[in-house]
Amino acid sequence: MSKSSFLGADTIALHSGYQPESDHGSRAVPIYQTTSYVFDSVDEASALFNVEQGGHIYSRITNPTVAVLEQRLAALEGGAGAICTASGMSALFVSFFSLCSAGDHIVSAAQIYGSTITLLKHTLKRFNIDCTFVDINDQQAVANAIQDNTKLVFCESIGNPGLAVSNLPAIAKTAHAQGVPLVVDATFATPYLNNPIKHGADVVVHSVTKWIGGHGVAVGGVVIDGGNFDWLKSGRFPTLTQPYEPFHGMNFWEEFGPAALAMRIRCESMRDIGAAMTPHNAFLLLQGLETLSLRMQQHVSNAQAMVTWLQQQDTVAWVNHPDIDAQAHTKTLFPKGAGSMLTFGVKGGRDAGAAFINALQLSSNLANVGDSRTLVLHPGSTTHSRLSEADLVAAGISADLIRVSVGIETIKDIQSDFGLGLRAAAKVVAMQAEA
Amino acid sequence: MYIQVDNANTFIATGGKPFDASLPTVVLLHGSGTDHRGWALQARWFAFHGYSVFAPDFPAHSLSDGEALTSIEAMGAWLIQALDTAKVNNVHLVGHSQGFLVALEASVLLGDRVKSVTALATASAIPVNPALVETAQTNPKAAAAMMLQWGFGTQHQYGASAVPGMQPIGIGARIMANNPLAIDLAACNDYTKGAQRAQHLASIGCPSCVILAGQDRMTPKREGLKLAQDLNTHAQVVEESGHMLLMEAPKQSLKIMKIFIQSVEK
Repeated sequence: MSKSSFLGADTIALHSGYQPESDHGSRAVPIYQTTSYVFDSVDEASALFNVEQGGHIYSRITNPTVAVLEQRLAALEGGAGAICTASGMSALFVSFFSLCSAGDHIVSAAQIYGSTITLLKHTLKRFNIDCTFVDINDQQAVANAIQDNTKLVFCESIGNPGLAVSNLPAIAKTAHAQGVPLVVDATFATPYLNNPIKHGADVVVHSVTKWIGGHGVAVGGVVIDGGNFDWLKSGRFPTLTQPYEPFHGMNFWEEFGPAALAMRIRCESMRDIGAAMTPHNAFLLLQGLETLSLRMQQHVSNAQAMVTWLQQQDTVAWVNHPDIDAQAHTKTLFPKGAGSMLTFGVKGGRDAGAAFINALQLSSNLANVGDSRTLVLHPGSTTHSRLSEADLVAAGISADLIRVSVGIETIKDIQSDFGLGLRAAAKVVAMQAEA
Repeated sequence: MYIQVDNANTFIATGGKPFDASLPTVVLLHGSGTDHRGWALQARWFAFHGYSVFAPDFPAHSLSDGEALTSIEAMGAWLIQALDTAKVNNVHLVGHSQGFLVALEASVLLGDRVKSVTALATASAIPVNPALVETAQTNPKAAAAMMLQWGFGTQHQYGASAVPGMQPIGIGARIMANNPLAIDLAACNDYTKGAQRAQHLASIGCPSCVILAGQDRMTPKREGLKLAQDLNTHAQVVEESGHMLLMEAPKQSLKIMKIFIQSVEK
């Protein structure tokens, strides 16, 4: 008997969710640049509004171009369904919003993106949703932090910018033991390097803006419902297991089971918050997704070459990448390499680091990662500047830390550019010595 | 809703509205290893258009407790118990794949309580490759993956979804993960009375409807056409769908179902 043979990841990235449409045979996914959709009849309109049939009503809720990206990403991550959003942050927000209500609690990794810390620590706090930050790879700390009102454990598969790799199977085991789902922001990993659902995650979030797009021209996010979590057995999720009045008492768990969370986000968050991805952005992001695996191979290869090169430079104080002295779980979770982000510090501290960044010509100093071009940033002055000193330490951010998103340029050109920066940093060190 | 059948907590999907036995009742019966969620969209339409929906998870499937039933005959008898518990009298029986074998068997016990039968992607007999049954016993996940690959048609293998953003194959994999697939497949394989039951229904003039899938590799269209002959009706074929017709082509299958059931009710 033959084994099952579903499409491979590279084929999914190119084909899933779309086959040439019948009217014109467009090979590329068309951009359905429309706000709304004509109903065949009043009865059909009624059926769509009451979720008696699938289809499109209004592009704040669903759109055919966006749906292709959703279905493609759900397939790539091995999920039951996906909802694309206007940005990665909105993907996180609708995930938290759909699982938590006032009075609830979240356990989060301490080493995460600065804006996510702000969302968890300040914004959600205004809605009486509390968060406890922990060392996510300390399972005793995670277990101790889970309370009766905890609705999720959150981490990034590779933390930004500390680059700590979350031990997903261990965290999932800890969370599941107390009936709590694991939500993972997998932006730094991409579906090419790691699929969190296969390692126990229940919900996966991406900023699609980053490597999945790769071109740096469109902002977007996605929530992927892993479909494996038993929301009823957990007993913690009335939003999914009890009647939802706005849809005539719809019980998402009973009616949609593995897609319960995705359907709740679709029916509630997209309607009420409206953080929808535009069809044009979905089209642009699909162009990037088609070549994700090829680009990621070059990203990872270049990152590994840059780690080696930086470690050989006298003016570099330290280099951090998850593959350096990799922990066992990092090797297991990232057999193809743990991404293309690295951090390092130059001798001379913050001032020398600033000189390094200011001297670069090829690499771009900007607040993004995952572009095909090499990007650098000083997080302490930018993305994480709103954090307190204590939070900076907890997030693994030292004053001299330079974050690098290694691009796919010819490697010798990135190294030449960094050489310019290091010479500028060395001058600062020399001046510091003279002073 | 939950009811007690054979002292086991049993889940009956009602399409999002409270069950009302006084309304015409549409009974939706799932196939091997699956559950009521395959009918999610069709169930909502019937529930919100003047019918009551009764879509059980068979024992040991998804939201229902109890021991898995090992024969189609036992499933048919169990269904009568469930209907009686809910005080359902007359029914439109609708079954997908194995679910229609159960409908055929139950129809004998229900007699004139059956107002119509509707078959989706099925046949009078569903022989199962012994290797698949064995795989289902030893490696249920692998067997479910095989069924999902054979069960969904070309478009869905390429990630199509009738509901935007969803992954029907992924959803199917989750549903089948913990259900007694091997027992269901063996029950299908062992059942030999389907043609006889279908011919009996035809002989007593029971209204019937057969909806087949053009890309069905689990219960090939030619076998479904024989069933239509046995029921003395014409089959309607959704050409672009595979065996998971109710999930792959919910709009087309619902359209045929509702036109037929509405015609019987008139």
